[in-house]
Amino acid sequence: MSKDKPLEGEKRVFMTGNEVVAWAALAADADIMFGYPITPQNEIMHYWTRLAPKFGRDFLQTEDELSAGFTTLGGVLAGRKSFTATAGPGNTLMQEPMSMAEAMRLPMVAIITQRGGPSTGTVIYSQQEVTMTTLGGNGEGLRIVYSTATHQELFDYTIKAFNTAWKYRFPTFVLGDGYQSKMRESLTMYDPAERGIKIIPPEPYFGKPGVPGVDRPPSQLRNTYNMEEELYEVVEHYLRDYSKMAPEVAEYHAYYVDDAKLVVVAHGVVARAALMAVRELREEGYKVGYFRPVTLRPLPEKELREVAARTPKFLVAESANGQLARLLKEGAYGCTTEMLPLFRPGMGITPEEIITEVKKILG
Amino acid sequence: MSRFFFFCRSALGGISTRVVEAYTGEYASGKSEVAINRALDLAQEGRQVTLVDLDIVEPCYTLRPLKKMLSSKGLAVLAWETREVGGLGETGNVLRAENRWALKRPGDIILDVGYGVEGAKTLNLLEGAKTDPDLRVLLVLNITRPMTGSVEDILAYIRQMGRVDGIINNTHLGDETSVEIIQQGARVVTEAARRSGIPVVATTAVRELAALIGPEDCLGNPVRAIDRYMPGAFW
Repeated sequence: MSKDKPLEGEKRVFMTGNEVVAWAALAADADIMFGYPITPQNEIMHYWTRLAPKFGRDFLQTEDELSAGFTTLGGVLAGRKSFTATAGPGNTLMQEPMSMAEAMRLPMVAIITQRGGPSTGTVIYSQQEVTMTTLGGNGEGLRIVYSTATHQELFDYTIKAFNTAWKYRFPTFVLGDGYQSKMRESLTMYDPAERGIKIIPPEPYFGKPGVPGVDRPPSQLRNTYNMEEELYEVVEHYLRDYSKMAPEVAEYHAYYVDDAKLVVVAHGVVARAALMAVRELREEGYKVGYFRPVTLRPLPEKELREVAARTPKFLVAESANGQLARLLKEGAYGCTTEMLPLFRPGMGITPEEIITEVKKILG
Repeated sequence: MSRFFFFCRSALGGISTRVVEAYTGEYASGKSEVAINRALDLAQEGRQVTLVDLDIVEPCYTLRPLKKMLSSKGLAVLAWETREVGGLGETGNVLRAENRWALKRPGDIILDVGYGVEGAKTLNLLEGAKTDPDLRVLLVLNITRPMTGSVEDILAYIRQMGRVDGIINNTHLGDETSVEIIQQGARVVTEAARRSGIPVVATTAVRELAALIGPEDCLGNPVRAIDRYMPGAFW
């Protein structure tokens, strides 16, 4: 490992998901991580703290997640690429700083490794933090959420999350889960520059050149307003920015949807099982398709509606009690596709379970 | 010769016939897989074997889900069972009383010591760990793990580990493992072993690849064929 550059060229490696995130944050030129321990996120911190001193990066452990969230925002205000990682009840506590990031348009990056809930639940796995990560906090959910499925994606999307956040100035999340955190899998790590990925540099919010109000607008950062109208004007402006950004950021994968009688919809690690199931069912002659939103917020609404418009049935498979399904129902409102549930809150879903369910539905 | 002597002393030297091995190493280096295979190989020879889960950081992710299967193959497995504990994870795990006294049991003892450098300190909690004449602490290394990817990284890692009596080259890339990557691991690990003065005990390889490599790797280290059990410990 070089002392100057964390990654040179490309290398096939075997890692756990949490380590992948720490390396990706290095590759994305992250300056500092703020964090508070919680399983299954811990090794993101462990590996970051082992790697950071070798490459001149920093780390601060705070007294809780509320503080970890706010210090991450402080880092951003100072013009440092800052990130944090948390899970479950830690994610709950962080909603206030995340909401402030929406209010002040601060590009914080947070890695969420979903665990079972409600409350302390299990340390192991779930997809039960979808609602909270996409729409938590008071306000309008002005966030970007990438839901990853593989270690390669954890690497790619952690890098991308920093770029998206600093480009659009909305808080950006990589939504993983405990399985992805602890799973061992191979992937290719690379130096983004060598793949033509331009890393967007951070900039401070204060102390910019010129006289405020004369040479440039003043840096007035607020998360509090006197009257409804003042706030309304700001929120309307943010919502316009968000709508403009949405089609540029939204991502999805769709396979075999053209002639499908049923489309299996899943996100994150469950999408792996869904794709395996769909491929096997196709081999058996079943007309089934696969649709996976990669961004859960903004949702790839146009493409979702196109698929929903021509497919009689969706089977929504998720390790939660309909948190993805709620987003889909809103996104596809008015489409007549029937949304059938395969909900297993806090439990993994296997390709076999999906195959069995599809066969039960299609006969 | 010295390596051979080291490897077989317990079995052939007449001092003791006990095999007592502690498998340590970087997080996700393959300690559990190598330990399980070693325990099963010994049991296959008709020996009495106890396999001990010494991961007190993350017992939810280690041998626990495989306990029943491994017991059915003739091993005594000392590990928590789900119903015995309230809240696996950060709610605080304790060392099972039976595990603490594992070294006092008759027969061979294979210790699976989880969670890297910090986890390796768990070994200090075992009764007799400092005085057991047969105990060998073996470091499991996979060079496709970036933290132990080069000779320098491995040497730095060994310095943090405390006691290490032998090294296992467990280089692999999961389902993508090739003979070349295992041999590359053998070269890097053996060089690190030479510079640290610690012997290489074995190179491991899944059965199909072990057959292609033969009884020794490209640097003359004995090859241990292994089967993969740990993927079954997840879901």
